[in-house]
Amino acid sequence: MLSLLRIEWLKIKTYRTFWILLGIVVLAIPGVNYAVYGIVGSATSGGKGGAPIINPFGFPDGWHTICYTSAMLFIMQAILIITLTTNEFSFKTHRQNIIDGWSRGAFIGVKLIGVLMLSILSTLIVLLTVLGFGYFTSKTGAHVSAWQGSRFLFFYFVQVISYSMIAFVIAVLIKRSGLAIGIFLIYMIVEQVAMGILTHFLHFTPAEYFPEETTDRLIPFPGIHLISEAEWEHRIPGHLIVAAIYLIIYCIATTRYFLKSDL
Amino acid sequence: MRPEEFPDSSYLVWESRCKRAKRRLPVRQKTSTVNSILSVQSVTKFYGRIRALNQVSLEVPPGSVYGVLGPNGSGKTTLLGIVMDVLKPTGGTYAWFGEPPSEKQRRKIGTLLETPNFYHYLSGERNLRIAAAIKGRGMEDIPRVLEMVKLTERKDSKFSTYSLGMKQRLAIASCMLGNPDVLVFDEPTNGLDPVGIAETRETIRQLAKEGKTIVLASHLLDEVEKVCTHVAILQRGQLLMAGDVREVLINEDIVELGAADGSLQRLPELLAAWPGVRQIKANDGLIQLFFEQGRTPDTGELNRFCFDKGIILNHLQLRKRSLESKFMEITKD
Repeated sequence: MLSLLRIEWLKIKTYRTFWILLGIVVLAIPGVNYAVYGIVGSATSGGKGGAPIINPFGFPDGWHTICYTSAMLFIMQAILIITLTTNEFSFKTHRQNIIDGWSRGAFIGVKLIGVLMLSILSTLIVLLTVLGFGYFTSKTGAHVSAWQGSRFLFFYFVQVISYSMIAFVIAVLIKRSGLAIGIFLIYMIVEQVAMGILTHFLHFTPAEYFPEETTDRLIPFPGIHLISEAEWEHRIPGHLIVAAIYLIIYCIATTRYFLKSDL
Repeated sequence: MRPEEFPDSSYLVWESRCKRAKRRLPVRQKTSTVNSILSVQSVTKFYGRIRALNQVSLEVPPGSVYGVLGPNGSGKTTLLGIVMDVLKPTGGTYAWFGEPPSEKQRRKIGTLLETPNFYHYLSGERNLRIAAAIKGRGMEDIPRVLEMVKLTERKDSKFSTYSLGMKQRLAIASCMLGNPDVLVFDEPTNGLDPVGIAETRETIRQLAKEGKTIVLASHLLDEVEKVCTHVAILQRGQLLMAGDVREVLINEDIVELGAADGSLQRLPELLAAWPGVRQIKANDGLIQLFFEQGRTPDTGELNRFCFDKGIILNHLQLRKRSLESKFMEITKD
């Protein structure tokens, strides 16, 4: 597996587009959070620049707030994954890799690992962002554990890998960069609209287990969960299990598709 | 004299024999499978309803230069794509080196299939590094193969800046990484200028002399004749003929005779029983006698015979049948 990853690294280490997109992912997470912090900070300080009355970016609420904000940036990871994956089909190097001596399973496997590694990297950046905001903005003398609420980081990882895998599946099936990004975005919107219609008008509650929605519900809007926190806690295991099932389906579907199809 | 004005029983007999031969399906080579580098058994491929290959079977002997010939759409690239695991066969099996197909075998084979496929944003050298890394060998070979295809000066240029000929040459260089013993080329001279074509042909000849096994799909018939030891001819997915190139693409002796109109009509009947005559045709005002292989006629004797029968020939020429006409005969409907 290490040799496969080494070869994948050879493909992208001098690819400028990769570094630009990765840089956006790395910088946008703390950057956007800082921007939101600036807005929230001025809004919660009484408008006079004083200390904020409440601090959603300090411990322990920072885990929830920053994970929620960072999760909204899923499109960046999706674009990176779609670009790298569709390049292989556009250049027909997926054929060449097989001809030169990779198995089909190795090719699709190393791509899946790439998605996992990007999700882990995003999670690490969020972790550093939370710790940074927490230590620099928390009130001194407050007796709050820095790790209280850290489960939101796991929920963020589940959410970002789910979105990334949806992007990967679309990239493998569509094989064209622009079209795949478009279909990914349209799907995100269509599922939200469908979920809204089914839930609010038709009272179809299983709609909350749609692929995108089931992970979105792991990290609700900060503050809203306080209203029905018990119900939200109760549903977490179900959402995690359904998200895991979806991930398994994505992996199996893309692997079987690539193993069986003509390249 | 036009051919249709010229009834000839021996010609008609030969034509029906050709048609019957073409209907004899499927064609199987009589070669042992034990020592074959590549063994293809009854491979069939459908693209939806379109049948691209129909129960094709062939054996590639070690050390041979095996040509795969056929018109456009005959299934050559499909066949090579299947044996390189780029395409999935609908039916049939194949084996490399006597073993079931696997990626480990493909690493031992240098392959150029259809178009050159490289990362456009990477240089030629970096692309070759990736190919060598996947093959698990040949990293130290990169300078040699680049020099062989005369791309050393452009090795650091992005692949996207290469011309078609340079892309094809880079693909040939990638095939040669690690000095594989088996090579598969699909139209290797595609996109090359005449100098490049000649160099590629010479490279293939040199590789054959070194004992390498080469599978070569090509439209260039004279290239196949000059280089290949074996040939398989495909048409519409059907294997028409396969075997030693000297047997499949027999280069017969042909004698062309011309005479005054009145005498020309008598020639076929007169010469039908001449020793070694396999076929008689009328073509463009001349009579063509096709001789069996190894039965080169004595044109002096022919001329004397005709003169004794009262026919004065105004045209008499001995030549070889063109490979192209033989190929056209085999593949025509």
